Amino acid sequence: MLESSPGLSVPDRTWVGLGWRQPHYEAVLAQRPPLAFLEVHSENFFAQGGAALAVLTQARAHYPVSLHGVGLSLGSAVGLDGWHLDQLAALVQRIDPVRVSDHASFARGRSVAAPGAIVHAADLLPIPFNAESLDVLCANVQQVQDRLQRRFMVENLSSYVSWPAQANEPVVGEPDFLSALARRTGCALLVDVNNLYVNALNAQINGLAGDPVQHCQRWLDAITPADVAEIHLAGHCHVAADPRDEAGSAIVMDDHGSRVCAEVWQIYQHALRRFGPVPTLIEWDTDIPPLAVLLDEIAKAQALIAGLKGGAT
Amino acid sequence: MSALAAQQQALLDALLAWPKDNAIEKIAIGASKTGARGLKAYQSNGHALAERALKAAYPVVTQLLGAQSLGALARAFWHAQPPRCGDLAQWGDGLPAFLAASAQLAQEPYLADVARVEWALHTIASAADQAADPASFVLLMTQDPAELRLVLAPGCQVLASAWPVASLMSAHLNGRPSLAEAGQRLRPAVAETALVWRAGLRPAVREARAGEAAFLAAVLAGQALAQALNSAPALDFNDWLAPAVQTQLLLGVVRFEPTGKMPDHDTPTH
Repeated sequence: MLESSPGLSVPDRTWVGLGWRQPHYEAVLAQRPPLAFLEVHSENFFAQGGAALAVLTQARAHYPVSLHGVGLSLGSAVGLDGWHLDQLAALVQRIDPVRVSDHASFARGRSVAAPGAIVHAADLLPIPFNAESLDVLCANVQQVQDRLQRRFMVENLSSYVSWPAQANEPVVGEPDFLSALARRTGCALLVDVNNLYVNALNAQINGLAGDPVQHCQRWLDAITPADVAEIHLAGHCHVAADPRDEAGSAIVMDDHGSRVCAEVWQIYQHALRRFGPVPTLIEWDTDIPPLAVLLDEIAKAQALIAGLKGGAT
Repeated sequence: MSALAAQQQALLDALLAWPKDNAIEKIAIGASKTGARGLKAYQSNGHALAERALKAAYPVVTQLLGAQSLGALARAFWHAQPPRCGDLAQWGDGLPAFLAASAQLAQEPYLADVARVEWALHTIASAADQAADPASFVLLMTQDPAELRLVLAPGCQVLASAWPVASLMSAHLNGRPSLAEAGQRLRPAVAETALVWRAGLRPAVREARAGEAAFLAAVLAGQALAQALNSAPALDFNDWLAPAVQTQLLLGVVRFEPTGKMPDHDTPTH
């Protein structure tokens, strides 16, 4: 029997949304394909006015909008940027999004080159899974929720470096870490299935035994279904080793530049069986194809949800 | 500093300081095969973002330098002045000064001023919207100019330069004048004042006409129309008015409040 989804509000017609990027602004507004929601990067609409905000406002008249941030730096030990939070709060107020999210990552810290200054790496850098890091993440997520006066979603990363555990520090797995975050703050989790698989493939390159798909399924099994409010699906790429470069190991990159691979669909089906129907997003950010390709991926995800025993239609 | 803050600062330094061969050793996360490659991936991603951000904000500087040089410039600028916030559209304000201080670009002294105009265009693209109030123009016929104030388009700015910045911008953005004609103005260093504003949702730039820079500076300072006209005797207001309305540079007219504080956003009334 399916466990119930927390099910934030989405239209009945479908559960699957589109990561809406500039090349498809015009086509989506003109064609208005049936989509559960549009998801945009919040920072692209941090404006008081202008063309970008006008486009998003126009889209909001036809679709629920999910705001997905990449720059809050929720795991930063130096805290959040008040300006950034102000911009997000203003955008939330204006758009009334169906969901708001960012990542369990950091990018913000003190500059070494310019003491006293703050820098932001404009990337999703990993945080260690330990008690101190959890305290910082919880405090920052709570600050966001207090400001926005709504439940926030936090996404798991694909990360290309990992922090070794400190001496005398208990080893905490990522799902336990994120579950503790959800329990302590009441936030929801945005589970990126492709990120799980990318991490599992890189772990395999680094010598982890076992089937990467099964690693991902076990990760999902450790998550409480009620914590999950959205799933992300995307493509990734395999970068071959560079024998001329000492640091040129093979690596798998979460580039959002291709169709969802068969293994990620398989892991997604496992997630659906465990979590029930969950709002799901197709993301494509590199070499963005025609809208029809994205709609085809969306149809696949929708079919898997519809195929669940007792699933939504 | 907490252990977590120290870890994070070390990784940020490895990514944002000038590239170091031994960066991976510094942050002790290179134990895995993919760790060193991963650090490189983050560095490469930063450089790609830098290039993309500068190309978006500075399309004319990009054309003037060429894509390859712009890429090298973006990487140098990324490490010299890393982003300070999580909205990459805010990064790049320091580029004009960075260009002006560059010994390598000393032979292209106009680039910094072109960049200043481009940054103004970039920032006004996200300025607060303001609707035109055509009905308010009747006040120009019925009221004393000393009792009126003009409402200009969002983000309107005048930028004076010792170089033909407006011609260079227009030549690269819309082909008028031609690149050859703009180049002819460059060699003798014809000084121009660029006027930037937002025509509806579209950022626009042109050369300020005679007296217009002083006039608009006075209007932007909150002066009454009569005062602004007095400060710009070279401006033919009747000749300026219709095109200014047509191009959405002038949005409306409001009654002048001599003692009132300037509002953040004007609301034309009539």
